[in-house]
Amino acid sequence: MKKSSAYFLLMAYLLIIVGCAATTTVDEYRPTAEPVKLMTNENVAILGRRDAGHYETDREFIQCVSSKMRSSEINVLSEQRFVDAIYPWFEPRTAPKSLARLKRLMSAESIQQRVEELSIRYLVWLDGSTQTMDQSGSMSCAIGPGGGGCFGFTQWNKLSVYEATVWDIHELIERGKVRVDSEGTSYVIGAVAPIPLLTPVKNDACTSMGNQLKQFFLTEDN
Amino acid sequence: MQAYWCKLLLVALAVTLTNCGTTSVKIESSFPDVVFEAKPLSAAIVFTDAFRSYVAQPNKDTQIDIGESQTRALTKTFHGLFETIEIVQSAEQASDQVDIIITPSVYEVQVATPSDNYLNVFEVWIKYNLELTDSQGQVITNWFMPAYGKTPDSFLASKEKAIKRAATVALRDAGAKLVLDFFRIPAVNGVIKQKNDSEV
Repeated sequence: MKKSSAYFLLMAYLLIIVGCAATTTVDEYRPTAEPVKLMTNENVAILGRRDAGHYETDREFIQCVSSKMRSSEINVLSEQRFVDAIYPWFEPRTAPKSLARLKRLMSAESIQQRVEELSIRYLVWLDGSTQTMDQSGSMSCAIGPGGGGCFGFTQWNKLSVYEATVWDIHELIERGKVRVDSEGTSYVIGAVAPIPLLTPVKNDACTSMGNQLKQFFLTEDN
Repeated sequence: MQAYWCKLLLVALAVTLTNCGTTSVKIESSFPDVVFEAKPLSAAIVFTDAFRSYVAQPNKDTQIDIGESQTRALTKTFHGLFETIEIVQSAEQASDQVDIIITPSVYEVQVATPSDNYLNVFEVWIKYNLELTDSQGQVITNWFMPAYGKTPDSFLASKEKAIKRAATVALRDAGAKLVLDFFRIPAVNGVIKQKNDSEV
């Protein structure tokens, strides 16, 4: 009896582990083999693209990537601080979408001065979103004088696709791109109490993006 | 006695249900200074009481108090656009030396929620009318200026918070639109040219 209980528990645990794993693919592209050097007195600003009509790169994701990247060797300036310091030139309406626009923007002395004050060397543009797809199954919950409960089974897929583009603000060139695709299925099993088996798709995408961007730069210590 | 309690419960339920659908938010954001080389012009900005205390009602269930915030946002922007500005409550209070008098007013405010647009975003549009007059009160032009802000719908985040965020983005966008396009208005260009000519 004890053996069968242990077996059942192990199976349940395996189901939870397998059910909650996200599949994440990371692609990196660099136009040259030249290392992307970052000095300790230089900062990186991570910004979200917000010009698309049907979605917006959410601030939570940008904050998450910033916190993953931030370390003793990499100084990351918060998005809000950067856009406020150069207001209104990095608002959704005015933010440069191409290097040609960035060059034009940087030709203004007042903007160049602000960038120098903030010691910004690289701009990382994050663009993407997390979507819920293929929702299936059903669950119903009821409550009565004798108690309540949920019965049924529901599942859904989540897909996170994010792309980071790194611009060198001194050289006014693109240094490369990092793309992360993360996908996973989440379940809720209703067996009196609802048991959620959630896959942290967005969190996986953030961790992968943050770690990859951390390795993207050659700091003085590595 | 029992009937009394039933009535009371019914009234409480009705009040709760009525308030459930109403969203009322006040925007209390601060705005940064603009990075712009101010033009050598002096302007009087007329913020009427109606503008300062404006509460938008884009639909019967939504109220957005943007009066104070829009006054703060536009004050900062106009400070960046002109070398000298004076803030007045009516056009009559403006001094005779100013090159231009600007009276902003809200023409329309619209809101769209995920249930309206079938997207995972909350959107706010504000359409301003800027009446531009000279120091004698002669109308130079009326300029309609749209501003737009959106914010993603987050799981368990309140509708109030999302509308607040979208309205703040829209007010920042109004500042961006002003910096970008104000001096492209042909009539404003005319004022600058006239001033330059008179100085020569």
